[in-house]
Amino acid sequence: MSQQEIHFDEVISRYRSDPYDYVDIHAIHAGLVHFKAAEGTEVQAESGEWQHIPGTPLYEITRERNLKVVTARTNGIVSFLNTALDGKFVEAGEKLMTIRHPLKKKEIIESILQEVLSLFLAPERARYYFAMDVQSRIDQKGLRSVFINPGDEVITMSLMKRDTPVYYAGDPGIIHSVYFKPGDSVNHGEPLFGVCAEDKLPLIQKIITRVKAEWE
Amino acid sequence: MGVNSAPVAGLTPAAISERIESRELSRRCAILPEDVVRKVFRYGATAGRRIEQHARLDRCMDRLQDLVVEAERRGEALASGTVVMAAELGRGSGRFDRRWYAPPGGLWLAMAWADTLLPDFARLLPLAAGIACCETVRSYGIDAAIKWVNDIHVRGRKVCGILCQTVSAPGSGDRYHLIGIGINCNNKTFPAELRDTAVSMRDLLGRSLDLSQFALDLLVALAWNFGLVHFQEECELAAGGYPDKPESPVVAAWRQLSDTMGRQVVYGYDVRRRPLYRAAVLDIDHDGGLVMALEDGRRITEYSGEILYLDGKPSPAPHLHAVTPARIEGL
Repeated sequence: MSQQEIHFDEVISRYRSDPYDYVDIHAIHAGLVHFKAAEGTEVQAESGEWQHIPGTPLYEITRERNLKVVTARTNGIVSFLNTALDGKFVEAGEKLMTIRHPLKKKEIIESILQEVLSLFLAPERARYYFAMDVQSRIDQKGLRSVFINPGDEVITMSLMKRDTPVYYAGDPGIIHSVYFKPGDSVNHGEPLFGVCAEDKLPLIQKIITRVKAEWE
Repeated sequence: MGVNSAPVAGLTPAAISERIESRELSRRCAILPEDVVRKVFRYGATAGRRIEQHARLDRCMDRLQDLVVEAERRGEALASGTVVMAAELGRGSGRFDRRWYAPPGGLWLAMAWADTLLPDFARLLPLAAGIACCETVRSYGIDAAIKWVNDIHVRGRKVCGILCQTVSAPGSGDRYHLIGIGINCNNKTFPAELRDTAVSMRDLLGRSLDLSQFALDLLVALAWNFGLVHFQEECELAAGGYPDKPESPVVAAWRQLSDTMGRQVVYGYDVRRRPLYRAAVLDIDHDGGLVMALEDGRRITEYSGEILYLDGKPSPAPHLHAVTPARIEGL
């Protein structure tokens, strides 16, 4: 989507006609698969204060007598199940099912914003914190007032008591959206924050206002 | 920056090699096949390849970072295993803004290790550093134990602290793991706020240590344990990364030197300032993650952060020579 030319009516009508996210579930590695959820089953994501209560079991996969139960990480309905694979040996990455996740207004706004913002992704599964300088600027001036440039140390990644400074490598801009709380464990490839150029801020605000106004 | 008079005499790369050949090979070969022992030491051979000693520095980690930048300016990469030592530190610090008291008499050093490991194995380096320090302290007859991740303590009093950071050279982007180690060897006094929580080896033994021999022992232990991480990587990659991996020799060694298993703990990223929850420690997993049971019985595994012991259970006496042939050969 062009950052300058966002077609609001088209985007909003897309989300109105189908206000769901479709999350494909793939085999985590090769092995013998047995499904634990049927098509149409409502599944719950992991929960608890520390995300320690596992989600609904989706499938079991066994390789070399090592059995793993894979659980849901998003809530929704199992909208597709590749039943032909039940009890069969599958290769790593094979699509097993799809969960239809109902989007809330906030998620729709975020979903549209993520198409417009430059996302900074977690390089590894680890705990993340803003660098001390960035955190103090956020504390003093507020989130959407912090401008970052390529080469700035923005994040500290902490893994096994080893801290790694992470440097920003995208276009200069303002930290607009943050997708983690300091100290959260974030999976590899998930967005940590989204950056927008200063001149794009009015566009971003327009998206938020429009979705808020038009979405019930 | 000029290098001042050496605080630790006789500590050279040649002395490390000689110690490995004359003592360590035979000691390790009593437990493991010689080809395995030699391979592990080859992987770790760069530990202490270059040693820079100072009478005083603000921080060894800062000097090591300067060396990374200086090497890059010369169009070179800093030699992996480069060690910076100082007889005392002016601004010694641990994680966050915690001060590390580093007067003369202690062993204060930092080592750079080139980032050539895959991420799944690089995460074991902080454990390997803890094992090396604990093994070395214990080899002097002190009943030290490791508290997850790598605090070395004797009955609740800290004898050694380890700080791990990963840095990138500004131009080339070459990454190094910097391992900062502080060991209370011959320090005579601690500030009042540390008297109940820190202890020196001198106090525990009732005599002073030969700091140069101790430093030599530590660098040899680092060579072995860092080499073991690389050896584990080689073995697991050769085995194809199957999910039912044999026990990691690094984790096995850590487990046998630690008194963390079974303890009641409070967990947090900065646990002193912001404790998050209480739990009972069940195990450490293949990747070094701490497996705990929460008060409602649910399990949680953490790969970062730190713990405080809530119970006053004394340290058990872990076994030395923790890595057995079965663990190595099982890879």
